[in-house]
Parts: sequence; structure tokens; C-alpha cells
Amino acid sequence: MLTLKQLAALTGRIIRQNFTNGDTLVTVIAMPVFMLLFFVYVLGGSIVTAGGAAGATQYLDYALPGFVLLTMAMGSAYTALRINNDQTSGFLSRLHALPIPRWVILGAHLLASVVFMVAAAAAVLLVGCLMGYRSEAGLGGWLAFAGLAVLFALTITLLAIPFSLKASNYASAGGFSYVLLMLLFVSSALMPTRGMAGPVRAFATHQPMTPIVNAARGLLAAGTAPQTLPVALAWLIGGAVVFAALAYWAYWQVFVKR
Amino acid sequence: MTEEVAAIAVNGVQKRYGKLTVLRDVTLEVAPGEIFTLLGANGAGKSTLIKLLTTLAQPDGGSIRVQGCDPVTQGGRVRRVIGLNAQAETLDDTVSGRANLRLVATLLGLADPQQAIAAVAKRLDLDAFLDRRVATYSGGMRRRLDLAMSLLGNPAVLFLDEPTTGVDPQNRLALWALIRELRDGGTTIFLTTQYLDEADALADRIAFMREGRIVKVGTPAQIKQAAVPTFALTVAAGQAEAAKAALAEHQLPYQLAGDVFTLAAAVAPQALAVLAPRLVVTGYVPNAVTLESVYLAVTKEAKHAHA
Repeated sequence: MLTLKQLAALTGRIIRQNFTNGDTLVTVIAMPVFMLLFFVYVLGGSIVTAGGAAGATQYLDYALPGFVLLTMAMGSAYTALRINNDQTSGFLSRLHALPIPRWVILGAHLLASVVFMVAAAAAVLLVGCLMGYRSEAGLGGWLAFAGLAVLFALTITLLAIPFSLKASNYASAGGFSYVLLMLLFVSSALMPTRGMAGPVRAFATHQPMTPIVNAARGLLAAGTAPQTLPVALAWLIGGAVVFAALAYWAYWQVFVKR
Repeated sequence: MTEEVAAIAVNGVQKRYGKLTVLRDVTLEVAPGEIFTLLGANGAGKSTLIKLLTTLAQPDGGSIRVQGCDPVTQGGRVRRVIGLNAQAETLDDTVSGRANLRLVATLLGLADPQQAIAAVAKRLDLDAFLDRRVATYSGGMRRRLDLAMSLLGNPAVLFLDEPTTGVDPQNRLALWALIRELRDGGTTIFLTTQYLDEADALADRIAFMREGRIVKVGTPAQIKQAAVPTFALTVAAGQAEAAKAALAEHQLPYQLAGDVFTLAAAVAPQALAVLAPRLVVTGYVPNAVTLESVYLAVTKEAKHAHA
């Protein structure tokens, strides 16, 4: 019971930090919303997404799931920042000198990060719905989409941990998130891969973000499991296992071996 | 003193980081209810020893017991009886002092957090600003709040890592009074400092640490007796370089801390004869016992011991 209280107290602390920090809210929620508005209403009319006529509504239907994942990727930089801040300020050391199970300390960061990313993604999704996005998915489809989003948030949070523990300052701790954003930009997240130059298209087709985005798009649009879902799950679960091992290795290096 | 009754027992402890040996064969014991002060310059190994004692790092050799428990194999039990106040403040600036204390009280699982917070706030005179955001606190307030977080739960052994570094004189004296009060209440205090006057004012016993070794242990009086008799002098602003050159020219060894030159008392007449005709000597303190004088003494002893 005490362990759960400790986990809740530390998780609540980080969630509060995220939701009361203007910079975090602007970068993780306002910026993706602005990008969504810009892409849909400025560029969307010129992007052919489904072989038919180009239009803002069609583009919104196509791109919203990609923007949801983009939002979570931007949030991962702040996961790294919070962990790195706690480490470099000595707060993690204070926690390690208290009678708290060790797993609770990073577990709280993990939980808070997933909650914050999912909340930010929900905000962008809500804006998308207000802009006219309509899903034909039923409850099952929405739940499956939510599950995929949570798994995505969990995987990229696990990726953030080793970078944040090993980085000497917060600026370098979040550097990996640019790679995540680059992978999303060079994928089917914001536009179809078929119009990309040959080598870029080959990369975009085979890198993990494209099947993940396509799976999210399929679940949200129609609620049925798209063909890419098994590949997406394999990337996400495989990534989570590998990144969890890396996170544990970094934690062991910093807090156990020392 | 035996391991069974010692609040802290350290025996032959070694610690290395890569090729760098930070602690070498450190052995010491701290009695329950004692203020034990570890004195040494930056990089002597004081903070590393505190990390080992508080389960934040593991030794490469030797044994440690805190309240009879091994920090390596019984870390959880050790963490239940200790409090740590590290050099770096670990406050959340965005919330109030009370919220900071409430978080630690929750993590400790205190039965009555409100009562515990009220008691520690009263003890550290935090009441007036406890509900203000920490970002508005002065340096002294921050240090007191940070210390209050370490006192929640009434730890049997309190580790204070340079608690007064950067603290103004008034708050420094208040912290000293609090540390004595805690000792009188039965808390064992393990304190590190760079300041001899602090060790002198607080400690029941002092261990002098140099390059990872304990080179001298004793009461403050015993430590000061070991010091080489010295004198301290200052010269007019802008003349420090000329003084250094003159002393070097006449092969007179000195320690310089800030603008204070410390020399062995035996060379006082010669040093004054060299400096006074050329420079303005603005201050002169005969028989000064300073950190530098103790340093000279224990360094000399350590060199002899390892020769």
C-alpha cells in the first residue's frame, strides 16, 4: 500500500510539473495543434492522399493519426528533460536515500510520461474532431487505437530513459526526440510515401513509423485491424523490450554500479 | 568502541572510479549521539564516503555498518534509519515549501504527515514562509527547507554534506545551534565540511581526510595541537603577487587562501623582514590555527607515514 502511495505521489509530482510548465504545454500541445491547422488549411488542399481530389477535409482524415503520434514524440523530449533534471539536481539521489523501492523512482517517470503523452494526444485528437474529423470506428476500434497509442508512448518513454540518465544536461537529453520526429516526417504520417523520391520512399516504407502510423490510421478510421497492425505491434513490442534493457543498463550504470 | 555499538563503523573501505582511487583503506567509527566531522579540502573523498554510507554507491572493498546494517546488502533497512542532506538542494521551486515537505512525508509513509511537517517547520523556523512558492525563497530559507526535508521522520543518523557552504553567517550560526540540538536529542550526526571553525565549533570528534585517506582523528583540541605553529598575514590590495615573489625568492614556504598568507611560525621574523620594507603588511595574526596550518601538519605526518 505504501509503495502505491509512493508511486502515486512521485507520478503526480511529474504530471503536475508537465501541466503547469508553459514551455512544455506550448511545445507538446500548442505546437502540434498549430502544425495541424497549418498543414490542413494551408497545405492540405494541395496534397492528394487517397488517389482522389485533394482537399483539406480529406487531408485531415489522412493526417490526424500521424499528428497524434507526432504529439507524443514531441512529449518524449520532456520526459527526458524531467528525468535529467531530477538526476542532475540531485533529486534522484535524495529519493535513492529514502526507503522507497528502487523501481518506483523510474516507474513514476514512466507512468507520468505515458499519462502526459496520452493526454496531449487526446487534446490534439479533440482539436482534429472539432476541425471535422469523423471516425467510423466503434468502441472496440477506439480502444484498440488507444492501446496502440499507449504502447507507442511506453516505447518512446523507455527510449528516453537511457538518453536522459546518461546526458550531462537537459539540452542533450532530449536530442533523440529529433530522430523520432525525423522518422515521422519521413514516413506516411503526414503524406503518402508514393510521391517521395525512390531511395527516400524505400526508407520510408521500411522504417518502423510507417506501419505504426498506418495501423493507427486504420484503427481510427474504420475500427478494423489493418494489415500493418502485426508489423506495427512487432516494432513497438520489440522496441519496448530493447529500450527497457537499455534503460535498465543506463540505470545500473548510474545508480547501482557507482 | 565495537561494531555492535557504533552508529557507523567503516573498516578498510576502498572506492575507485575507473583508474582513479577515491577512497583508500578508510577506517572510522562513530558513536551513537556523536557529532562526527569529516574535514578536508575539495576532492578529498568526503562526499564519496557519504554516498557509500547512505547506500548511494557501493565500496570496492572493506565493510560498512550503519546502525548495525550493511548498506550494500541491507540497503532498505539503512534507508529507514538515515537522513541525508546533500550538497545540492533538491527543492521543487514551482510549489510551496509545505508541498515539498508533504512529498517527502508521503514517501516516508509517516503516520501523521501534518503533525510531522508542523514540528519540523517550527524547529527550523519555517512557519512564516511555508506556504510561499520556493522560487521566492532566499538562499538561507532554501537551505533550511532542504534540511527540514532531511529531518522528517526523525532519522537516527543524519548525514550533512557541507551544510553551511554558501550560507550567510546568521543562518550558519542558526544551523550550528540546530545541529547541536539534534545531537542533544540523541541523533548521530555525520557532517562534512571544509571549514575548521565549523568542525571546531560542532564536532565531538574530527577526522581529517586527504586524498582519500583518513590521516588524523581526534577531538578538536587534539587536532589543533597537531598543527604546525603558524602565523597569518595579509598585504595591501594589489601586492599579493609581489609578496608571493618575495617569499619564493627567499625560499619561504607558504599557503595562500584568498588573500591570507599562512607561514610556519618559525619563519615569522624572516618573512616580515623580507616583506615589510617593500610592501604594506595590512594584517598579522600570530599563532593562528587555520585549516591551512592543520593541513601542513597532517600532510607532514602523512608523508612521514608513507615514506
